[in-house]
Amino acid sequence: MQAIEVENLSKTFRVKRKEKGIRGSIGAIWHPRIEEIQAVNGVSFAVEEGEMLAFIGPNGAGKSTTIKMLTGILYPDGGRVEVLGMEPMKKRRQLAYQIGTVFGQKEQLWTHLTPNDNFRFFGAIYDLSERETEERIEELSERFALKDFIDTPVRNLSLGQRIRCEIVASLLHKPKVLFLDEPTIGLDPVVKENVRELIRQMNREEHTTIFLTSHDVGDIEKLCQRIIIVNDGQIVLDDSVEHLKNHYLHHKSAENELQKETAPSMEGMAAAAENGDASDASLEDIIVEIYKAQGEV
Amino acid sequence: MLTVVKNQLRVCFLSIQYNIMREMVNKVTFLTNVVFMVLNDASILVQWFILFRLRDDVGGYSLREVLMLWGLVAASFGLSNILFARALSLPNLIINGKLDAYLVQPKNVLLGVLTSETRISAIGDLLYGVILVCVCRPGVGGFCLFLLFTITGALAFTAFALLLGSLSFWFVRMDILQNQMLMGMINFGTYPDGIFQGAARILLYVLLPVGMALWLPSHVMARFDGKMLMAVLGYVFLLSAAAVAVFYRGLKRYASGNLMEARL
Repeated sequence: MQAIEVENLSKTFRVKRKEKGIRGSIGAIWHPRIEEIQAVNGVSFAVEEGEMLAFIGPNGAGKSTTIKMLTGILYPDGGRVEVLGMEPMKKRRQLAYQIGTVFGQKEQLWTHLTPNDNFRFFGAIYDLSERETEERIEELSERFALKDFIDTPVRNLSLGQRIRCEIVASLLHKPKVLFLDEPTIGLDPVVKENVRELIRQMNREEHTTIFLTSHDVGDIEKLCQRIIIVNDGQIVLDDSVEHLKNHYLHHKSAENELQKETAPSMEGMAAAAENGDASDASLEDIIVEIYKAQGEV
Repeated sequence: MLTVVKNQLRVCFLSIQYNIMREMVNKVTFLTNVVFMVLNDASILVQWFILFRLRDDVGGYSLREVLMLWGLVAASFGLSNILFARALSLPNLIINGKLDAYLVQPKNVLLGVLTSETRISAIGDLLYGVILVCVCRPGVGGFCLFLLFTITGALAFTAFALLLGSLSFWFVRMDILQNQMLMGMINFGTYPDGIFQGAARILLYVLLPVGMALWLPSHVMARFDGKMLMAVLGYVFLLSAAAVAVFYRGLKRYASGNLMEARL
């Protein structure tokens, strides 16, 4: 069964432009120049229940806008979205009981309160009884190793501890789909690995569908089976991570061989391909190469 | 349905409780904020005592009626800022895309936003208002009316702030207009309505919710009038409904944002 279905999704933002300086500011009062930016443009995909999907792209590609439309934060301008059989904008509240969100760059926790108090607040938000909340806090604090700092105000926690608490807060109500927007941003490698293991464990044990955006290739490589790359609001690649790693370079090598005859000065990937050692290139190299091919970087 | 309302109220009260807990982290600041707000409000009364030594009435109000009006304005403003202080900083939330956290929760967005901040100095305002009205000895009936009008006044303050703040979905820097209009509402509201005539009086009954939300209630507290009471209740209901409608209409235009932020 499909957890997420997206068809021809699009979203446009209207942005004011003005010429530089005070003259530009005054001019903009009388003749405002408004440009339309197509953040998401006809995106279609589906995610199976229990799948771990990486939804990536360069900055400004439309990743966060898509996530925000899937979670009911933004209204789409066109297309169709269904998450767990519900349209996010029409059934925002009902859907919120079934999904969890972690925005690595935005704190959802009250920083002056302890994680324990925060979890109780989130328990109330998701209509859990006090006993249910207690049991879930006990279970998750055990699994995420929060016991040592569960009674310390969030503002005094390290970034890694805070992110673990953010994830626990978003898992209290046992969501079926978890949206993770750069969950490991700013974390050291050990904590990153720790967080990834916890996400894997949750997917394995609770069959939670994971929708991940991240600029960290390690997150994608170690967590996701499938990758969707977006650029300029459109999907440019939808493939399994394994298939991408195994076949993209071979395809690229053949392409470069052809191009070498007419343009022998290719660098980077071409050089790797020339050496016939495609396996040397990491997933990060492949992704960078795809971004470059799309005119980014 | 009842369970939904009960759960929503539970979250609202918990949110306000956590706001106050946050402020109580520093007990000295908390107490001084409350006490100095009471003193600050009280200091303004000096001018009225001086004025009423020179005249018997100002704009048709006796000293007692002015004190009752002051009590009502302070208590209404205080209650609004204890329960729904975020209405005042709504433009900041909209412009900087900070509504996301409320939109992913399975609760009413508007109530979640409004109850997410409490101004501690407002406890001083509310205390001051109650003390002032008690000093005037309005009797049981009068005090009940005062409590009712404090609630309607707080709703009117919040609704007016919400209405103006929600315009930020369409226009930038609405915080300036919102701030000026609310300050106008408080400043004009503490003067007897009899001193305003003509166009000024019409504006204060139409453009700003001063007349309907503060002056009319003070008349009802002085001399009970059922029709006026119903007019106040109807006005506050309509103003609140309009504010809620504008907020939800604007929410469809919400553009979110990618600023790094923390919930403090």
